[in-house]
Amino acid sequence: MSFWEYVGSRHAQLLTDAAQHASAVFQCMVAATVLGVALGVATYRTEWAGNLATTATSTILTIPSLALIGLLIPIVGLGVAPTVIALTLYGLLPVVRNAIVGLRGVDATLVDAARGIGMSRAAQLLRVELPLAWPPILTGIRVATQMLMGIAAIAAFASGPGLGNEIFRGIASLGSANALNQVLSGTLGIVVLALLFDAAYVLIGRLTIPRGIRA
Amino acid sequence: MPETPVPTAEGTSARAATSGAGIRLENLTKHYPGSPAPAVDDVTMEINAGELVVLVGPSGCGKSTTLKMINRLIEPTSGRIRIGDRDVTGMDPVKLRRTVGYAIQSSGLFPHMTVAQNIALVPRMVGWSTSKIKNRVEEMLDLVGLDPGEFHGRYPRQLSGGQQQRVGVARALAADPPVLLMDEPFGAVDPITRDHLQDELIRLQHELHKTIVFVTHDFDEAIKLGDRIAVLRERSHIAQFDTPEAILTNPTDDFVSGFVGAGAALKRLNLTRVRDVGVVDFATAGVDDPLQSIFDLLRDGDTNEVLLLDRHRRPYKWLRRGDLMRAKGTLARAGTLVHDTVTRDATLRDALEAVLTDNAGRVAVTGRRGEYIGVVDMETLMNNVHELLEADRLEAVEHRHQLEEQRARRTRMAQEGLGGQGGAGAPA
Amino acid sequence: MSPREERRAPRDERPPGEHEVHGLAFRDEVHEREHGSTAAPVPAAPPQGLRRITWQRALAMPLFLAAALLATWLWFRGARLDSIAHQAVDHGKVGLAVRQHLQLTAVSTFFVLIIAIPLGIALTRATLRRATPFAVAVANLGQAVPALGLLVLLVIWLGIGTKAAVIGMVVYAVLPVLANTIAGLHAIDPTLTEAARGIGMSPAGVLARVELPLAVPLILAGVRTALVLNVGTATLATFGGGGGLGDLISAGIITQRMPVLILGSVLTVALALLVDWLASLAEVLLRPHGLEVSR
Repeated sequence: MSFWEYVGSRHAQLLTDAAQHASAVFQCMVAATVLGVALGVATYRTEWAGNLATTATSTILTIPSLALIGLLIPIVGLGVAPTVIALTLYGLLPVVRNAIVGLRGVDATLVDAARGIGMSRAAQLLRVELPLAWPPILTGIRVATQMLMGIAAIAAFASGPGLGNEIFRGIASLGSANALNQVLSGTLGIVVLALLFDAAYVLIGRLTIPRGIRA
Repeated sequence: MPETPVPTAEGTSARAATSGAGIRLENLTKHYPGSPAPAVDDVTMEINAGELVVLVGPSGCGKSTTLKMINRLIEPTSGRIRIGDRDVTGMDPVKLRRTVGYAIQSSGLFPHMTVAQNIALVPRMVGWSTSKIKNRVEEMLDLVGLDPGEFHGRYPRQLSGGQQQRVGVARALAADPPVLLMDEPFGAVDPITRDHLQDELIRLQHELHKTIVFVTHDFDEAIKLGDRIAVLRERSHIAQFDTPEAILTNPTDDFVSGFVGAGAALKRLNLTRVRDVGVVDFATAGVDDPLQSIFDLLRDGDTNEVLLLDRHRRPYKWLRRGDLMRAKGTLARAGTLVHDTVTRDATLRDALEAVLTDNAGRVAVTGRRGEYIGVVDMETLMNNVHELLEADRLEAVEHRHQLEEQRARRTRMAQEGLGGQGGAGAPA
Repeated sequence: MSPREERRAPRDERPPGEHEVHGLAFRDEVHEREHGSTAAPVPAAPPQGLRRITWQRALAMPLFLAAALLATWLWFRGARLDSIAHQAVDHGKVGLAVRQHLQLTAVSTFFVLIIAIPLGIALTRATLRRATPFAVAVANLGQAVPALGLLVLLVIWLGIGTKAAVIGMVVYAVLPVLANTIAGLHAIDPTLTEAARGIGMSPAGVLARVELPLAVPLILAGVRTALVLNVGTATLATFGGGGGLGDLISAGIITQRMPVLILGSVLTVALALLVDWLASLAEVLLRPHGLEVSR
């Protein structure tokens, strides 16, 4: 069976897997963004707290994903739970780091100006600092999403959802005629999803980054 | 804040502008933890309503810290601040800052907001209605000499440094604060633009009568702008607080005279403006006027030269009788282009400069949008300079007299054991 | 200058947008540390590196790892293992897995370095400079391919075993190191190379005596990235019969034997953190003098 015949005959299954893959990555990325920006906002003003947040999240990222999932299984069991936790944790670092770098990078005179014209602390953050730090944060989200695409594939080994299952089906039937088709469809599916997400981020950037600070 | 709409002196403005409120700093001290000496030490200063006071001093003397304590960007360690008749030392700093305009170096415009959004910030925060804000933005742009239609939707990075600074001033004035604080606002622009911006500020102040506190390290800027100048030495100690004339002609000590620097006579020219000397009228014609009428003007008038104005009534070309002879039916190539003009707020020094470089010894004076007002020539200027120097000489003589009297009095008091500390400043 | 202002300084040099996206996308994948990672890696790195060398911090990581490993070992000895679990760990299988894992990492990192660094240098030379954007685009696209899929495809193509795993790991880690090298060489102040040429250095001399020494911090960061990436990707070698600590983890998951799973995971985590720690030490120690406080 050629690759395209395989895709034609299995398209329902593939689409379901792809949708689950995308939705797992998307939801975890939303959670990671909210948590990451909150962590960044909470820590960027203090030297040690910001460094601690960056160091902690980067340590998590040093841990191989299979090992982290392995450590999560005894605690939360197999399936969706370890996948979601692992994806969210791995998604944090780029967001936290870029949020801190972005917020610290906001020109001090602009913060001074915001304070000087009578903005409250919350207004300074919401109307000046975060909008100016948004481009690097969005970059962090982009990078994190691409990374999560690959990790989500590995999470299928712990019975997580998504296109990783297609790859693991291929591994299970190594040597059989369909192994290549299964692995290839899973891998290409993830590549396509990653590129689609990337395109979506470019669009989001266009829509949310004010023209005045666009590169 | 006392928000009394004040009838402006020249009746220039239909704008319901709030004029200035006095500022009083009482024993203001800022002591940073961990540093042995206070950054600002016991400053007491009275700034009158509607006055432009410049704080000038070497870098690190605490002038900026002093300024930032007025809107409490820096909380004073001790002392009180009064604006108008209100003690603001204890009030909510965020609310306070909305009633005090603040303009800083390199404009501090938010790059992610348009010019209009930047200007609208404070009015929006204090809860103006949308339509009122909209009008106000147009009005402010107009006030600082930027075309509202053109600049409204632009982003800060699409503006030149000078334009950004204008918008920065417009933003600071948008909610019509009685007090405007300016922290080296023109420090980051090139000298020519700075000169223009200074002229603009003087014109604005003529219209608005705000109370302005202006920080700079440039003494020439201080002389040009200040109604009064406070020369500060380290820890914001006031070395001299007086009018520019008094500081130039009578510095209290070596520190101040060192700061004034050489060429006090030339700097004196900075203190008088073109509007204060006679601007003479000149024969003018528009570019669209029929050629014949210009001919008639030159032939019949008592002048052999006219100033040709463009469609916006801006000076365009000097036309002599001889030029017309060679014009052959079109003005396109006739005459000399006007390459320099001064505003009515330009200093005599600027005017002198322009007149000296003009080969016919005159320069056109323009209004806010560059429209023709009149002409200053060498003769007017020379007469004025002579008068000026003469007056200064008389004043200096008188001052020496006063000083001697004062010294005598102080000696007398010292002899009587009273101590003459308080009289250090030159009495006005 | 306060440290806060120090960090602010490089900001102006970071153009928000594509450049940054590329820079990050390369270096980031699974393993990324706070170091040499952001859009402005060159300026940001030195102050952090300096702080990191304090002895307490340098020793904290190995002490923590030793304690964690000791605790795991004590717990594992006390745990009741059935025959299936015994089968997974007996006869020196744990030691073998660790050895295999280290081998995989070392070999693939070696190849990554001898491929990526010369290639990076070549791509920044005048003659090949036009190819750089193309290489960057390819590398970016390559980042979208999941490591697992790449590895398994290579296994199907080349057959089960270590070879496929190593090739997969090399292909996967070459991109970030290449990007780091190119970024490092690009980030060098052009006036410096101009000055070097101006005093009469040959192109080779400029490269060897000016460009490479100045790019050392970023290249070292690239080495660290490669090492950490490879430790992680090596866990996936188990799916292609390549061995390594992934064997223990997958055996633990498939057979539902938690002690095996935990042992494998803890060892992998410890190995990854240790390698990262060693690489960070190397980074600090090998950085040319004079670059530490460049900002």
